Amino acid sequence: MRIPRIQVVALVALAAALLPAAPAPAQDRAKAKEVVVAFAAEPRSLLPNTIVDWTTNNQLEHMYDRLVDRDAKSYKPAPMLATGWKIINDTTWEFTLKQGVKFHNGEPFNAQSVKATMDYIKDPASKSHYTPRWAQVKDVQIVNDYTVRFITEKPWPGLIDRMAATDFLPMPAKALKEQGVAALATKPIGTGPFKFVQWVRDEKLVLERNPDYWQGPADLSRVTFRYIPEFSARLAALLAGEIDIMKDVPPLNVEQVDRSGKAKVRATVSSRINYLALVNLKPGPMQDLRVRKAIHHAVNVDELIAQVLRGRATKMCGPLSPLNVDYTPKIECIKYDPARAQALFKEAGVDPTKLQLTLDTPSGRYPLDKDISLAIASQLARIGIKTNVVVNEWGTHLDKIKNRTTGDMFFLGWGPALEAQGTIEQLFQAKPTYSSFGNNATIEAKIAQAVTVVDPKKRLEAWAELQQLVHAEVPWVFLWQQHDLYGVAPWIEWTPRADEKVWMYEAKVVAR
Amino acid sequence: MRRNALGILGMVLAGTAIVAALAAPLLAPHDPLVGDFAQSLKPPGTAGHPWGTDQLGRDLLSRVIYGTRIALFIGICVVCLTAVVGGLLGLVAGYFGGWPGTVLMRLVDVQLSFPFIFLALTINAIVGLGLRNIIISLAAAGWVVYARVVRGEVLSVKQREYVQAAAALGMGRARILFRHVLPNVLPSILVVASLQFSQFIVAEAAISFLGFGVQPPTPAWGSMLSESRDFLYVAWWLAAFPGAALALTALGINLVGDWLRDVLDPKFRA
Amino acid sequence: MRAYVLSRLGQTVLVVFLSLTAVFFLARLGGDPVLLFLPMDIQAKDLDEFRQRLGFNDPLPVQYGRFMAGAARGDFGESLRYKQDALGLVLERLPATLRLGLLALLLTFCLAIPVGVISAMRRGSVWDYVGMGGAVLGQAIPGFWLGLMLIYFFSVRLGWLPTGGTGGLAHYVMPVLVLASFYAARIARLTRSSVLDILGEDFILTARAKGLAELVVVAKHTLKNAAIPIVTLAGLETGQLLGGAVITETIFAWPGVGRLTVQALLNRDFPVVLAAVFVISLTYTLINLLVDLIYGWIDPRTSRA
Repeated sequence: MRIPRIQVVALVALAAALLPAAPAPAQDRAKAKEVVVAFAAEPRSLLPNTIVDWTTNNQLEHMYDRLVDRDAKSYKPAPMLATGWKIINDTTWEFTLKQGVKFHNGEPFNAQSVKATMDYIKDPASKSHYTPRWAQVKDVQIVNDYTVRFITEKPWPGLIDRMAATDFLPMPAKALKEQGVAALATKPIGTGPFKFVQWVRDEKLVLERNPDYWQGPADLSRVTFRYIPEFSARLAALLAGEIDIMKDVPPLNVEQVDRSGKAKVRATVSSRINYLALVNLKPGPMQDLRVRKAIHHAVNVDELIAQVLRGRATKMCGPLSPLNVDYTPKIECIKYDPARAQALFKEAGVDPTKLQLTLDTPSGRYPLDKDISLAIASQLARIGIKTNVVVNEWGTHLDKIKNRTTGDMFFLGWGPALEAQGTIEQLFQAKPTYSSFGNNATIEAKIAQAVTVVDPKKRLEAWAELQQLVHAEVPWVFLWQQHDLYGVAPWIEWTPRADEKVWMYEAKVVAR
Repeated sequence: MRRNALGILGMVLAGTAIVAALAAPLLAPHDPLVGDFAQSLKPPGTAGHPWGTDQLGRDLLSRVIYGTRIALFIGICVVCLTAVVGGLLGLVAGYFGGWPGTVLMRLVDVQLSFPFIFLALTINAIVGLGLRNIIISLAAAGWVVYARVVRGEVLSVKQREYVQAAAALGMGRARILFRHVLPNVLPSILVVASLQFSQFIVAEAAISFLGFGVQPPTPAWGSMLSESRDFLYVAWWLAAFPGAALALTALGINLVGDWLRDVLDPKFRA
Repeated sequence: MRAYVLSRLGQTVLVVFLSLTAVFFLARLGGDPVLLFLPMDIQAKDLDEFRQRLGFNDPLPVQYGRFMAGAARGDFGESLRYKQDALGLVLERLPATLRLGLLALLLTFCLAIPVGVISAMRRGSVWDYVGMGGAVLGQAIPGFWLGLMLIYFFSVRLGWLPTGGTGGLAHYVMPVLVLASFYAARIARLTRSSVLDILGEDFILTARAKGLAELVVVAKHTLKNAAIPIVTLAGLETGQLLGGAVITETIFAWPGVGRLTVQALLNRDFPVVLAAVFVISLTYTLINLLVDLIYGWIDPRTSRA
């Protein structure tokens, strides 16, 4: 009789398994100043300047610093590893570098590091996503140990905006040369506030405080990133006190998190914008400006925000949000006005009750995206328009937008959108990959001109004019800026940022 | 006989599902697709919405009732497709043996070595999401069972005397196959079908969980259950009612299957 | 015997080859892989350059030939998403999945076989109803839902078990339970019906007539004979167990192959998908070879051809 014996063994094993687990409870973590942050995915690489991906860069920025940061309030470019910059001529930018900064391996940060980093980005062997992003930079010249010049092919006023993102995280020149790229990929060496300890694939990334950080040591002694792909499991982990910070608490669960005692929700208005594209890059009713306008009048954005998103979004009237440094306030909202919509349809000779539209939407990519799309469809139904909502898997959604095979409308989020060029140049011309609107000669000519204006004031004016031109064309139903909802343990003092950067150097443990 | 009692319970449950599916427009108090989002997430017992409403204010009871249609539709389509395709392949492979049999068995191996969830995801990634494609991917995964079972049965039926005799008398192969072999194999096809039926309904839920299920606004139980995750801990009814409907229907069909099995297989008449 | 094993190994190679071929072409029909791992502000020109560099612009047969040549050497290429050796990524996660799968299998057998046997022996009793009712319910409850409910009660409400991840033994409890639930339900039902089958056979009736204690009858004859279909099903379903692992691993943040494969499929990370298919179909066919060998051991009469 073999089976019963196996059963006994199994029972013992089960009993042993049922003994309480010993993950460090929240109180101990608070005392030791260790914070656990949960993300949906692990970094795609530990090499900086290689992959454009929010989660990846967020984690990397704990170990690497930017050359130019963004001010946490105004979101304008602010000094970081570069103490200052100036424009020498139309094609030359000069950066002054911070002195006395050391990488985690003791190597000094200087002009060599900047040059080596750009060399890495431009090397085809790196297969870096940033290669095309820096294509306009012809050369990096070392003026002295702490001064470098970026020489561009053509005038490129947008360089500073590009720099003030995760697009340029200096790497150590000597280590790169002596140990090679592969070594840096397994053990990152940056100048950042935390040092690499351990990476367990698909499970966690552990970092410890860099005591010699040039801006002063972080308050936290240890940061662990844990990867929990399923969002409801992530929420459960927060409610169980296993993790201390998570992003994207569902709007409907806010109250519950606040009541749990394990965490509080901290919200911020994000620079990420959500919109409903009215596609004019393919034949159909959206070719007609009056129809686009009518659709906009038929959608009640306030109702969507209040009822579906429970107020967790901030309405937008034009293509840029007020957080965008190039934003102009001189744009009037297109109001919810079904009567005006009907009148416009009549003017265009379109009978809304005979209109059959298709709306493409992703599911689970943005807060309540699919539900919003369904709600928009039912709002359009109120004036008789029949809308077929097609839910796509994310990859298919991107394919459809790129191949211009979506329906007449699609839902998309865009960001972080902190400067005009990244949005207007990408989304309102016929050619760019994810655009939905184009073939307007005036707009395309103005864009081509605006991207070359170096003078800051004239630049601002050029983008302001474009925002008005774009707005008048009603290429989208302008929706809103998302609110980012973070669940944060009560013993952590940390304010979320609009640019979606989750940076634990800014977090402190509150004495209780 | 208590076995019959269970069979009757199964038939009652399955019958309820069938009635709900057929009479959905009469039974459902509201349109399952249209909601008033001022009335969203109302708990059960709210006036006019005995089972509450979902995130878009749609009536849950109506959605669950219409969901019966989707569930039975998926089940019936997949079972018919798989039984016909798998059954025919098994019949041919079993009766003719030789290389068709070998080829079939290797195909079965290839199919089985690849978890059906992956297959469903791959197929959906190619042909897009939706009810039709769910049925295709479930069918693509489900035919194997029939092929195996039928082939085995045919191999044994082939040895029986009357089949041998028919062949000796010069009866055509196709005729033997359909006149003598098929009727003998039918009961096992029926049993497998009834047992697989409920599995397919549950499988739809699993696929929905991974984001590939029947797409909204279609009220499929699996996708409703999967969507309820967004409101977990705040709207229990969104998970409870579709979940119960799914479990009870699956239970009912399973019980009927068991009963059928007992009836068709004389060995079990105790 | 040796010839048999050799021919089966030959078939294994064939099955793996066919699986890879099928998935290679299926996956390529799915869409552009390049879009999903490049940033959204990428321009058409750069997109094409990336595609060119990765060889996606070549004709499909050329790509296929190149892939098979690589695969034969164990080189599945570099993950598009992670810029790492694809097979390495899969193998790195294999132990976690195997640990989970084997424990679930063990639990399944410890639970399902006794339940099935008792239900059959005491047919029509309360035990039968409870056992089979549980089994039917186990089949009717979607795994992800069970998982989320367990997390809610045992982790959030009671705080007894961790919500996910790996670590101590406690981390195994819920994932193993969820993974085993569906599987156990099927095995229990199958056990019951095959035991019933055997109980009706002549030789058991003879044994009973001879006056052997009933327990010995069960142990000696019934179980041994009933084992064949059970072992067969167990082998055949290992592939599906892996499918179940996808959901379990996703919910419980378990760093395994299933989760990696689904992510790779969603991200169209073809090298990883194909490396995973290779590992999965190889594992599957080898397990079934093992099952066939166990067959011969259980029942030496079964001649294999």
